[in-house]
Amino acid sequence: MSKKTNARNAALLNLLTWALVVLTLLPILWMVLSSLRNYSDVANGNQLDFSEPLQWQNYRDMWINVDFFNFFKNSLIICSISTLFATISATCAAYALARFRFRGSSSVSVGISVTQVIPGMLFFLPLYMLYRNIGESWGMPMLDTYHGLIFLYVALFTPASIWIMRGFFVSIPRELEDAAVIDGCSRFGAFVRIVLPISAPGIIATATFIFLLAWDELFFAWTLTSSSSVQTIPVGIRLFIGQFQQRYDLMMAAATVSTVPVLAAFFACQRFFVKGLSAGAVKG
Amino acid sequence: MASVSFKNISKKYSEDVSVIKGVDFTIEDGEFVVFVGPSGCGKSTLLRMVAGLEDITGGEIHIGGELANDVHASQRGIAMVFQSYALYPHMSVRQNMGFALKMAGRPKAEIEERVGKAADILQISHLLDRKPKALSGGQRQRVAIGRAIVRQPKVFLFDEPLSNLDASLRQNMRVELSKLHRELGTTMIYVTHDQVEAMTLADRIVVFNGGVVQQVGSPLELYDRPANLFVAGFLGAPKMNFLQGKLASGSAAITLPGDEHLPAAADVARGTAGRDVTLGIRPEHLRLAEESDAAALQARVTLVEHLGDQMLAYLKVAGIAEDLCMKLPGHAVKLSYGDQVRVAFPPQQCLLFDHAGDAFPRIQ
Repeated sequence: MSKKTNARNAALLNLLTWALVVLTLLPILWMVLSSLRNYSDVANGNQLDFSEPLQWQNYRDMWINVDFFNFFKNSLIICSISTLFATISATCAAYALARFRFRGSSSVSVGISVTQVIPGMLFFLPLYMLYRNIGESWGMPMLDTYHGLIFLYVALFTPASIWIMRGFFVSIPRELEDAAVIDGCSRFGAFVRIVLPISAPGIIATATFIFLLAWDELFFAWTLTSSSSVQTIPVGIRLFIGQFQQRYDLMMAAATVSTVPVLAAFFACQRFFVKGLSAGAVKG
Repeated sequence: MASVSFKNISKKYSEDVSVIKGVDFTIEDGEFVVFVGPSGCGKSTLLRMVAGLEDITGGEIHIGGELANDVHASQRGIAMVFQSYALYPHMSVRQNMGFALKMAGRPKAEIEERVGKAADILQISHLLDRKPKALSGGQRQRVAIGRAIVRQPKVFLFDEPLSNLDASLRQNMRVELSKLHRELGTTMIYVTHDQVEAMTLADRIVVFNGGVVQQVGSPLELYDRPANLFVAGFLGAPKMNFLQGKLASGSAAITLPGDEHLPAAADVARGTAGRDVTLGIRPEHLRLAEESDAAALQARVTLVEHLGDQMLAYLKVAGIAEDLCMKLPGHAVKLSYGDQVRVAFPPQQCLLFDHAGDAFPRIQ
C-alpha cells in the first residue's frame, strides 16, 4: 500500500473517530445546555439561542422542588454497597473459574454467560413475587428497602463482572502463585498477597463498571421501590415530570449533577479502567 | 545440602492419563542433576512434585533423608527458579528476594543482610530498588536466582530457567550457573529440553521419555554409551546416524539391505543372527575413505553446511532411507553438492541396538 493511500486511510479513520466522539458527546452537551436554560426556552427548544444569557437558577431550584439530596444519598448508599458485594463475589468466582477445574465448572461458566443474553426485564415479575412472598412469609421486607435493591444489583451485575475479572486472572501466570506457595504462602495467601495486588487495576475497573451500571439503573429501582426514602437518582429525576408540569430544565440540571460523581469516579480510575478491561488480551 | 531420592514415583491425572511411571533413582548431596527429555515427557512434573506443587499419586520422595510427600512446599527446604522468572511485579527486587524470609517471620535485619549477600553474589545490588518491569530478561533471571539463594535452600530446583533468554545471554547464564553451583555446593535439579545445557551443566543427566527414566549417568557416559535408541538419538546435535539392517551371523556386525557388512565393537552374545538391529554412529565419527577401502560405502553429497570451524555434509547412500550426516573440521576437505565419496564406519565408534532399541554393550 502506498504512503499516499495510508495517509488517506488514516485521515478517514480520524474523521470517523471524531464523528463518533461528537455523536457520543452530543446528548451530554444538550443536557448541559438545557440545564442552563429556563423552563420556556427548553420547552420551545431554544437551547442554542445564545442571545439569552446562560442562567444557573436550575441548579438551585432542583434541590428545592424535589428532595434531590435524599435521592443522591440513597444512590450513594445502594450503589456503593452493591459495588462492594458484587466486586467481592465476582472476584472470588472469576478466580475460581480461571484457576480451578472442578465438577460442573464449565456448566457454571456457560450458566453465567446465558444470564447475559436474557433481558433483565423478564426477571421483573418473578422477582417482584419472590420479594413480596419473602416479606409476607418470612417477615423480612424486600420491596421498597435498601437491601432489596442491593441484593438485586449484586445478582444482576455480578455475572458480567465475573467475565471481565476472569480474563484478568487468566492472564496472570500461574507460576507466580507457585512461587508464592514455595515462599511460604497457602493457596489463599498467594491469592491475597500476590494475585489481588496484581489484579488491582482489573478489580478497580470492574468496581467502576458495576457502580456506573447501578447508578444508572432505573427500571428495577422504580418498580421495586415506592417511597422516597429508598428511591435512587434515576427515579428522583423522573419526579420532575409531573401531571401538570414537565420541568425538563430542572431535570437536565439534576441529570448533570448526578453525572458529576460517576464522571469524577471514572476519570480518577481511568487508567485502571483502560488497563483493566484490556487485560487478558495479551499475556504479560 | 541434601540428597533427593525417588522411590517408585508415579503421577496420574486420571485412570488413563499417567505422566510419571515408576521413577526410581537418587540424587546425591551437592550434585547437579539435569532432567532432560522432549516436551511432555514428565520432567517438569517430577520437578514440581519435588517442589510440592504437584500431588504424588504413588511412591515416595525423600529430601535429606526425610519423607517429603506430605510436607508443605515452603517446609521442604527447596527453592525454585521458574522459566518465566515468576517475579512478583508489584514488589521491588529487594521485596521479591526477601519475601520468603518475611513469610517465615525472620527479623528485618537478617532479611536485609541475606538479600544484600545474595545480591552481591549475583552482582545485582544496584537493582534492589527497581521493579521487575524495569529489568532486562537477564537481570530478571538473576533476581529469580537471587530469590532462591536468599532462602539458603537444601535443594535448588530450576525449571527451564534459561529458555526465555537469547542465545548469547543463555550461554553467559549457563557459565554463571555452573560457577554458582561450585561456589554454593548445593544440590541442584535442573529441567531443560536443551541438550547443550544438559551436557555442559550436569554432573549427571536423567533422560526421560513418556514418563519413564531412560538412562541416568554422566554426560559423557550417556553420549558415548547410550542405553537405547532414544537416548542415542536425543543427545548430540546433529543427532546420531541410524542404519537399519539385520544382525550378521557369527560376528558383531550389521548387514544392510544392500548386503554390505558394517562391523561394530559390541558384545552381541544376547542377539540372534538375522534379527532386526540398528547401527548408530555419531556424525563426527564418520570418516571419508579412500576409493580402495572395500569396507566403506559409496555416497553422494546432497548438502553441505559450513559452520566456520566445522562442516556438516549430508550424504545419500543407496538403500538407506535417511541421509547420513558427517561432521568434519571446517577446512579439512572441499566438498560440494553431487560429489561422490566413500564413507567409512570405524567399528570402535559404531553402536548396535537390538530389535527393541536397547544397546548391545560396547567393547573397548
